[in-house]
Amino acid sequence: MSAKVPRSFRLLEELEKGEKGLGAESCSYGLADNDDISMTHWNGTILGPPHSVHENRIYSLSLECNQDYPDNPPIVRFISKINLPGVSNINGVIDSKKFPMLKNWKRTYTMEMLLLELRREMGSSSNKRLSQPSEGSTY
Amino acid sequence: MSLPRRIIKETERLVSDPVPGISAIPHDDNLRYFDVLIEGPTQSPYEGGLFKLELFLPDDYPMMAPKVRFLTKIYHPNIDRLGRICLDVLKSNWSPALQIRTLLLSIQALLASPNPDDPLANDVAEEWKKNENTAIETAKEWTRKYATEKS
Repeated sequence: MSAKVPRSFRLLEELEKGEKGLGAESCSYGLADNDDISMTHWNGTILGPPHSVHENRIYSLSLECNQDYPDNPPIVRFISKINLPGVSNINGVIDSKKFPMLKNWKRTYTMEMLLLELRREMGSSSNKRLSQPSEGSTY
Repeated sequence: MSLPRRIIKETERLVSDPVPGISAIPHDDNLRYFDVLIEGPTQSPYEGGLFKLELFLPDDYPMMAPKVRFLTKIYHPNIDRLGRICLDVLKSNWSPALQIRTLLLSIQALLASPNPDDPLANDVAEEWKKNENTAIETAKEWTRKYATEKS
């Protein structure tokens, strides 16, 4: 069994990957406040998947990594309005019970994996043609 | 999970023969994760301060350096706002012959001699080079504000 990386060093690893742009091009993430030594609040973006109603749109999200991260998933909320099953149409919060990756969260999962999985969901055959709120509107 | 002998030895010695002005205590539930306290060196702007850090020994320690960051806010050209430290022995100059104690001594030495020519916190380094006296005053003020008992 490998060493258990503490929350803060895990978040620093994710931050560095995000800052250096080493990850996927279709999403990005970073600290909401560069002075926040607790590294709780993060911003994320997802580039709408091609061949879907989301194509060429950029979606903003907020991610909250509490003290129990990464043992438990972050609280994820769409800031940009979106019509997607499992996402509250009132405040954009993703219902962790309805989104398998949050429901079956593992310590090895990262914010990047989460954003990519959301993007995959947005482009899935059952969701890619859902009518969407006007571009740029926010909760 | 069994802990490598090297780490056990190092931890025992940190407790039985501590470095003056430095303490490192492993967490009960994660023996690779240490709470660290470093006293600000005398005759430095950090004198009188007690700085809290966290240190983690990754899987590939000692082939790879420990991970360390400051938890106490500090005004220093080689330490950024998230407490990350720019120090050669944490990166390219790490050697398995070094230890937790030697590393912590290097960090304490970095407090005694800031190096604004190899900055991590750019705004701090600028100030340090442009107006050293003001920078030192700010460092002292932050030490009083964030790194003393009262804070």
